Amino acid sequence: MRLFFISSIIIISTAVSLHAETATVITKQTAIRESCRFFSPVKATVHYDDVLEIISKEGDWYRVQFKGFQGCIHKSSIEKSSISLSNVVGSEKQSTSGDEVALAGKGFNPQVEAAYKKENPSLNFQAVDRVENYKVLESKLIQFIQSGKLNLQ
Amino acid sequence: MKEHLYLKLILILLLAGCSSVDIGSIGRIAQQTFKAATPLSDEEEYYVGRAVAARILSSYPLLENNKLTEYVNFVGHTVAIYSDNPITYGGYHFAILNSNEINAFACPGGIIFITKGMINAVQNEDELAAILAHEVAHINHRDGVSSIQKARLTEVATLIGTEAAQRYAPAQLSQLVSLFEGSVDDVFKTLVVNGYSKSQEYNADESALSYLSRAGYNPEALEDFLERLINQGQASGGGIMKTHPATADRIEKVKEEMPSAKVDISSVQSRSKRFDNATK
Repeated sequence: MRLFFISSIIIISTAVSLHAETATVITKQTAIRESCRFFSPVKATVHYDDVLEIISKEGDWYRVQFKGFQGCIHKSSIEKSSISLSNVVGSEKQSTSGDEVALAGKGFNPQVEAAYKKENPSLNFQAVDRVENYKVLESKLIQFIQSGKLNLQ
Repeated sequence: MKEHLYLKLILILLLAGCSSVDIGSIGRIAQQTFKAATPLSDEEEYYVGRAVAARILSSYPLLENNKLTEYVNFVGHTVAIYSDNPITYGGYHFAILNSNEINAFACPGGIIFITKGMINAVQNEDELAAILAHEVAHINHRDGVSSIQKARLTEVATLIGTEAAQRYAPAQLSQLVSLFEGSVDDVFKTLVVNGYSKSQEYNADESALSYLSRAGYNPEALEDFLERLINQGQASGGGIMKTHPATADRIEKVKEEMPSAKVDISSVQSRSKRFDNATK
């Protein structure tokens, strides 16, 4: 009887721990927001490859936990990775198109771009950097949307 | 006897847990191989997009106008947020090319260019939003990278599939740079010379209507713009017309897919005023 009790606890705890869902950030940088919508206050900023713990799903958003912060992140900035017993028998499909995490930094990466730039010095990468460094302030974008009577999520 | 049975059960379950890790590893290898038939990762797409943008910017200079650039970014970000993929690896960035050609380009990953000629050709903010929404749709649909020859992607997958390190040895790097260059050429040719397929253009129009509607813009602005191109006799020739399907056919498709929700015309007019302010 005692052995049955102990083994049941081991089985249940193993199953629970194997079912924990995590997600990895697949964008350079993105925000964890207070509530599950754009323009909600930012609670934390996360970066590529940061691992988040998924709490629940709310529409196109996930409620997650990261370094003591809890908030929402949009589905397009993460790749879900779950280790569950059901995966063993293949009944749960992974959520994304490719294993971004396994391929992180591989293939076409900064090293390849640097070598390509060196071989093609006439290409205007400086202008590309300027375009990318142009930042839109969220507060001004909200004002723009509101003054244009557009939809604010 | 029963005790042995329980121990066996625990062992089976624990082994099953271990095997999930192995299956995961196998899955990753399989996905690396499968990658040949699928688009690149978001990160790789971003680097291809940057190089395509660099090639475009080597032919077309940027327009130095902070006020107008800010305005185009506001409109572009508003529609991008309501798109199906509002966040990309490097984010969306909108810039104006100093060219009188009527054109716009969506580089893979999120950089979108619109020419000064195109801004002059649209009549109000909603039409500008329609053009940008169409380009955002191309990025959402990954139309740029889909033009990369499959053989190149197969070779990339083979190369990186056997390499654990993220920094490459000279020989491998040389091969990857050559594949990268070929991929950039494929996308550049599609964007600037040959254009996307008809179905990609129609799908981009259809998605654009949806993004416009969700954002609160008037989706009919896309139809209005295309109609005007026909009426002004600009529906054939260079620029966007060289790389897009017949305008009349696009109008027909756009009409078929037009969302039914009506937009407050007074808000369209108030947005037109700020468009006039930004573009004068």
